Amino acid sequence: MTPDEAADLIQAIATRQDRASFAVLFRFYGPRVKAFLMRGGSDSETAQEVAQEALIMVWRKAASFDRARASAATWIYTIARNKRIDLLRRTGRPQIETEDWLTVYAPEGEDANKSVLAGQTYARVKELMAGLSDDQLVVIRKAFFEDKTHTAIAEELRLPLGTVKSRIRLALGRLREKLEKDAEE
Amino acid sequence: MSRHQAPDELLLDYAAGALPEGPALAVSIHLALDAASRRTVERLQAVGGALLESEQGPAFDEFALEQVLAKLDGVAVDAVAAPPSPPPGFEWAPAPLVPFLGTNPRWHKAIGGFENVPIRIPGDDHRVELLRLMPGHGLPQHRHAGNEYTIVMQGGFTDTTGNYGVGDFAVGPGPQDHEPIADPGDPCIAMIVLERPIVLTGPWGRWFNPLVKRGWL
Repeated sequence: MTPDEAADLIQAIATRQDRASFAVLFRFYGPRVKAFLMRGGSDSETAQEVAQEALIMVWRKAASFDRARASAATWIYTIARNKRIDLLRRTGRPQIETEDWLTVYAPEGEDANKSVLAGQTYARVKELMAGLSDDQLVVIRKAFFEDKTHTAIAEELRLPLGTVKSRIRLALGRLREKLEKDAEE
Repeated sequence: MSRHQAPDELLLDYAAGALPEGPALAVSIHLALDAASRRTVERLQAVGGALLESEQGPAFDEFALEQVLAKLDGVAVDAVAAPPSPPPGFEWAPAPLVPFLGTNPRWHKAIGGFENVPIRIPGDDHRVELLRLMPGHGLPQHRHAGNEYTIVMQGGFTDTTGNYGVGDFAVGPGPQDHEPIADPGDPCIAMIVLERPIVLTGPWGRWFNPLVKRGWL
């Protein structure tokens, strides 16, 4: 599925509550969200539940999707991340909206073309990740899949905190440098 | 644009959803005010999207889809909500802070000549508060026992590590004791998120420390 196809499907949900479009997204992203969560240690049943809940949120939030700012995959990632956190917090902790502290607010009228979430840049991010070193990838994958802070990752890998920080900074520096160079061209 | 950005590793923790609520709220306010950090987080979220899309799992059975479709019968697509408006007197508050202010937040005078508003985040063990310092006034000299995150929302302050203005993000512990002083102009308003109580080191410090530990300062 291309970023444009996925964006069209989300838009069809937003404008006319299109169930057929939802079904296509569900079949494509449902299993991916589930596999993503299981890689982070969720059991199959929990992962299935979070994946289904996340896709229901995709339906509910479809109108706030902005394809100029976000690729569908990135947007669905943030929804699944928030659902996973909600589920963890539900067990034993008082509930506040996860969205309240994980929403990135951009000022009204910010030039969306400068945003890096649009489909084109997203494809480039995918490409650039292939160029990261194994050391850098290990840390980044752990953060995303296992929901661990860099401090927790350093402890787990028995690495000095400074080493983990510099891997993250190098990886991000590389992404930033290449994407900014692309933007100038 | 501000000159002190949150470090990359903290932005990664945030984008991956690994930060506890208190520090995450501080980062989220920083993002609302700082375009460069916002771009970094958007890129990191795109990394999350790329990892998600490259996953492969066995297809769901069609029964799961039917169940979810049945649920959607009662679920409307939400209208896009306008950002919440801040309570009177807190018009400077960036959007992410507003849900935590309640309907009638009030400044309290604290010992040491500053004012504060405690911010309660259910389930989070950090000490989170807004501080307001009049120009030329400082906080009692202190050093950090745990991590400290500061985000400036109005005015600015200066300490031995530099000058901080609106949108700037500071991470403690610093290398030495520091004594922030508010810059001339508007009163300095910042949110401070503390992992553990700070330790006061000035001449009056040892008298105040028991109060700090009890959360009275």
